[in-house]
Amino acid sequence: MSLRQGTASKIAFPLKNIIQRFAFLSLIVLSIALLVLGKADLVLMERVRTISVDALSPVLGTLSQPVNAINKGIERVRELASLIEENERLRRENERLQKWQAASLALDKENENFRRLLNALSDPLVLPITARVIGDSGGPFVRTLLLNAGSRDGIRVGQAVVGPHGLVGRIAETGRQSSRVLLLTDLNSRVPVLLQNSRHKGILVGDNSISPKLEYLQTNAQVSAGDRVVTSGDGGMLPSGWPIGTVSSVTEGQVRVQAFADWARLEFVSVLRYDLPGLTDQGTNPGDLGESRLGESRFGN
Amino acid sequence: MNPSFSYQVNRLLRGSLPFWLTFLLAVMTVIPVRIENMATVTPSVVSISVFYWSLQRPYLMPAPAVFLIGLTTDIMTGGPMGMSSLILLLVHWIASSQRQVFVGKAFIQSWWGFLLVATGMAALSWVIMCLYAFAFVPALPFLVQLALTVLLFPAFAWVFGLLQNSILRHI
Repeated sequence: MSLRQGTASKIAFPLKNIIQRFAFLSLIVLSIALLVLGKADLVLMERVRTISVDALSPVLGTLSQPVNAINKGIERVRELASLIEENERLRRENERLQKWQAASLALDKENENFRRLLNALSDPLVLPITARVIGDSGGPFVRTLLLNAGSRDGIRVGQAVVGPHGLVGRIAETGRQSSRVLLLTDLNSRVPVLLQNSRHKGILVGDNSISPKLEYLQTNAQVSAGDRVVTSGDGGMLPSGWPIGTVSSVTEGQVRVQAFADWARLEFVSVLRYDLPGLTDQGTNPGDLGESRLGESRFGN
Repeated sequence: MNPSFSYQVNRLLRGSLPFWLTFLLAVMTVIPVRIENMATVTPSVVSISVFYWSLQRPYLMPAPAVFLIGLTTDIMTGGPMGMSSLILLLVHWIASSQRQVFVGKAFIQSWWGFLLVATGMAALSWVIMCLYAFAFVPALPFLVQLALTVLLFPAFAWVFGLLQNSILRHI
């Protein structure tokens, strides 16, 4: 028996070696082919990706919970140390914000009156869907987030994603129960924006660095560090006027923006279901405003 | 005499441990840890695992398994498809072809080997990413990720070593 096995393995061993080497080389070629094909944005590849992420998202959701709990515990301990100062700071901030609130309520009323006088069309209602962040980019290649909500919750590709401080990114892929957010800082992110004071328009271009670039500004645009940048709403994909960040540096021809978003603490984000009546139809974009009773009362359909 | 069925099942389950472990690590790569800028420099523990098992038990970490794990990583992180597969296959190839240099030698030697391999792979993935994006992407995250991964190597190698000497002892 052992002899027979010996002769068999003498023949089988080099054969196995050749097969293994062939398998290895073809897998390398396959990887490179995938990389090249990926540039072409194949529908099939995206389908494979969304289906796999969908299948694994419950696992991620469960696994990320204990990590969350630990992080919260650590943060709680850290906060205990600065409880008194924090309280004092918040009290002062609250006083200041109360004054601002009064001012903003008055302005809001005034604005509404002016709109009525001019018979100006108001923007459609924006409905937020709040989802938990169950994954981040996990490496240096991309800047993305995974959310535990997908197309069954009304999330569609292109919708804006906002955190507590402002715009975070846009939906790039949706599965049934999960979706991927392309962050403002990603290489592929392009967001139409507006300088809040000078009203000049531009495009916010991500480049995988922490602060995205502001490009396609008019040559005579006045821009200085500290200017607030908000969404312009151009293209009808994003609601206008959502805060994004402030201009952090202006150097020869390059304007960089520091986002308001606190990237490390994004636990929950809101996806804005924004639907311009007439531009997006209910058939291809089901579950937007029609699904909600708020939308019904506003548009009467 | 054929080994009994339950013995074979047992062997199969134990033998697939390196694959499933690495697969789980690939899925876990994207779990948010909420440390400032950590997401972009998440240490590549998957490459540690592929390196370790390709060195210690190459027949339990064959090339197709490495390819699948790489694909899973790309799917989870949303990076270019095929990127991690390519890098991990190269790690696997280097590790399994240089076994005589590392196996049975001092631990520091494998650590040094991993440092060299990981550095090469970080440089390669940066170059591929630049070509892919047709722009210079920031290289700093790649370097920080490299440093963190190399620093984590001993801890993971220790845990893998424990598994290797208990569950995978006779496999």
